[in-house]
Amino acid sequence: MELKDEPSPGGNVVFPMPVVAVAGELDLAVAPSLHQRLDLVLSSGATTIAVDLREATFLDSVALGVLLSALDRCRQRGGDLHLVVTEPRILKVLEITGLAKAFPVHARLDDLLGVPAEGMPR
Amino acid sequence: MIGGTVQTVAREVIELSFPASEDLVVLARFTAATVAVRAGFDVEEIEDLRLAVDELCVSLGPIGEGASVKMTFGWVDDTVTVACTLEEPGGGPRRHPADTAPAPASDLSEQLLAALVDDHGREVRHGRLSAWMTKRRGSAREPWNG
Repeated sequence: MELKDEPSPGGNVVFPMPVVAVAGELDLAVAPSLHQRLDLVLSSGATTIAVDLREATFLDSVALGVLLSALDRCRQRGGDLHLVVTEPRILKVLEITGLAKAFPVHARLDDLLGVPAEGMPR
Repeated sequence: MIGGTVQTVAREVIELSFPASEDLVVLARFTAATVAVRAGFDVEEIEDLRLAVDELCVSLGPIGEGASVKMTFGWVDDTVTVACTLEEPGGGPRRHPADTAPAPASDLSEQLLAALVDDHGREVRHGRLSAWMTKRRGSAREPWNG
């Protein structure tokens, strides 16, 4: 798994929330790293965050539990946790567990942030 | 057939043993994919089996230092069977506090297993905690779609 802060798309675009981009297979081995990263962002005072899963290829129940825990923390603060997902396998996991409607799920980061697609990082 | 018993024998059996470390569960997923291909599963079924095997490992609960995971993958006709057991250091079975029902798996893990495979379960017998599952080719279900 690769964790990275979403880089600035450039220009004058400002992200309205912290974005954590994650790549690779999200399983019980990387769940602690994901938890630490989200905890760091939430500890900085953010109430609404986005997790960009466009480059994630696998999601198991342990990693999903980390995302769910972070969602709860955001909601307790009056915020939210947005997911950006395009991988069908991950969407299927969200559907099976009934969490596709619990998280705000978006297909495109710029759908969420309202910035031009050409300015978005990959 | 004598005595009304029909025995089936796995066409192939693959045994996998690895130190019980979270970052090695990828080996179980890799093996699951290999077995699924050999059993003729389609792409979606292969991915289902990979995730299900991961969840099977998760369902064994926290992994103790020095323990190892023993897994057996086999198939007969269109059905793949996977079993896994946690072994304590020294090769013995993991000693469970009692031969009673194992601690409940997480709801998320249980939901995924129930949706992805045809049958699964866990049991504690003689102090050995093990989990198993079966998945048939062509039995994809989508109960989560109502």
